[in-house]
Amino acid sequence: MLSKIGRAAIDGFDEFLYAMGFFARVLRESFLLLRRGQVGRRVLVNQILFTGIDALAIAAAMALAIGAAINLIGSSLLAEFGQGKLMYTILIIVITRELGPLLTAFVVIARSGTAIATELGGMAVGHEIEAYVAVGVNPISYIAAPRFLGVVISMTVLDVYFNVFGLIGSFVVVQLVHPIAFNEYFRNLFAVLTPGDLLSGVGKSLVFGVIISVVSLYRGFAVERSVTEVPVAGIKAVGSGFMLCILADVVMTSVQYLG
Amino acid sequence: MRFRMRYADKLVGLFVVAAALFLAGGIIFLGANQRWFSKDIRFETRFQSAAGAGAGTAIMMRGFQVGKVTKVKLNDRNEVDAELVIYDTYYPKVKEYSILELVTSPIGLGTQLLFHPGKGEALAQVGSFLPLADSEQGKDLIDQGLVEIPVKDDTITRLLAGVNPLIENANKTIVTINRTLTEINRALAGQSTGPLGSIVNDASDAVSHADAMVADVSAQATALVTKANALVDSVNAITKNLEATTAAIRDPTGLVPRLLDAKGSIKTILDDKNALYDGINGSIAELQKTLKNVQDISASLNGQMPSIAMTIDEGRAAIKQAEDVLTGLKNNPLLKGGIPARVEQQPQSMSMREGQFR
Repeated sequence: MLSKIGRAAIDGFDEFLYAMGFFARVLRESFLLLRRGQVGRRVLVNQILFTGIDALAIAAAMALAIGAAINLIGSSLLAEFGQGKLMYTILIIVITRELGPLLTAFVVIARSGTAIATELGGMAVGHEIEAYVAVGVNPISYIAAPRFLGVVISMTVLDVYFNVFGLIGSFVVVQLVHPIAFNEYFRNLFAVLTPGDLLSGVGKSLVFGVIISVVSLYRGFAVERSVTEVPVAGIKAVGSGFMLCILADVVMTSVQYLG
Repeated sequence: MRFRMRYADKLVGLFVVAAALFLAGGIIFLGANQRWFSKDIRFETRFQSAAGAGAGTAIMMRGFQVGKVTKVKLNDRNEVDAELVIYDTYYPKVKEYSILELVTSPIGLGTQLLFHPGKGEALAQVGSFLPLADSEQGKDLIDQGLVEIPVKDDTITRLLAGVNPLIENANKTIVTINRTLTEINRALAGQSTGPLGSIVNDASDAVSHADAMVADVSAQATALVTKANALVDSVNAITKNLEATTAAIRDPTGLVPRLLDAKGSIKTILDDKNALYDGINGSIAELQKTLKNVQDISASLNGQMPSIAMTIDEGRAAIKQAEDVLTGLKNNPLLKGGIPARVEQQPQSMSMREGQFR
């Protein structure tokens, strides 16, 4: 029993070191991709198209719904307690700081994380990766780096759009139910919003993008030879992605509020 | 799908650039709204405590944020020196005698730092000191009516504003009572030289003389009691006399019969050797004779004048009654004083008018 635990711990530590090494290589190749402008740029554009633009609709819908709900609750319930302006604080906390980046991350994990893991798993099963290596193409450089950058960029940009739709779009939706003066709304909103809020949201999106892309790539490359490993890689990518994003969110929020 | 792939670069470029523009626009709007590019006017103030008035605390005026606290520092006198800024757009409102007021919500909704503009003509100098409303300087300015203080916004604050003077008054009263009690204690202990001390000392002297006064009062009371006893004795004697008199009146052989007796008190009235009685009796006898004569005349005329007979009978009956009355009068003790002497009327010829013209 003890030996099993010890072996699992050693294996886990080894895997962690391997993952860190993988992350370091992906990071290095990503910088190289940006500097050299190699053929991987086409993959990067496609990845942004798939991860960012294609996910924009669902992210926008979520942002609109959450923002409108907070607006409605804030303008009716909070106003009864004479704390109507607290609505803007809640809006900023939920949309910009906390829920926005996390929900965007969940959307990206569900859509792109599984896709990247299963795609790379399929490539591994089909020996495509070995073929790239055989012809002298670095698979990290051509396959991993564009996807890594694409997911990170998409996550960050999606978070910006989430904020845009959550803060501005919800205002438009609320006008249909409970009209609020445009000037009043944005003056109060930007009176509460701080650069720290924006930085927090963008920073979390960057971290979540890194986590999602690295976990998905790692799980995809981890597939060896069986086709049955492919969906498992997808499931593991989703599970690990959720867990690590939530863990990172807790750590960053703790540092932000306690620090 | 073909469109997406053909224009993938443009779509991605638009996607990223639009997001960057939104982000940049948001930051610029945020900066403009949070006055990153504005020149705010700096002032100073001093708090008793930084609780609720830390750096970043908004300074409000009639619901508008006109500035904020930028820095607080504990000074050598254990007071909190604070630096604040008033937004340049609101600087024209910062006239001389302007003050700040730190208002704490009674139901735990935080604190508010309010700005009350002064009524001076000139603007307050940049970097000058704005006193708090509860400081001595602030109170003086308010008392002199140099500050424009609006009506409080909410009911609770208004109530509190009304309650505060009451509490202050109550506090002053308690302090006064405390001082009074202290003074009383000192006076009772014989340590006070004030008016109360004099009163207590006088009271003490009076108490020391109380025994002599009581003895004096006791002696006088004894004399009064003796006199009262003598009076009571006199009253008792009078009462006994009255009792005896009453008993004599009640006794049929006592005073009344003696009064009514021919030799009694009536005697003194009627003791004229029965002259009055004889006179009356004689008169009655004469009258009886006359009536008898009239009866005789009536009897003679009886046949002709029965009415005269009847009249005469009635006259006789009346005479009998008069006789009974006279008998009653003779026997009546009220005629003790006798018959009063007649007052003779002066002749009319001796009037005053004639006297004057004599």
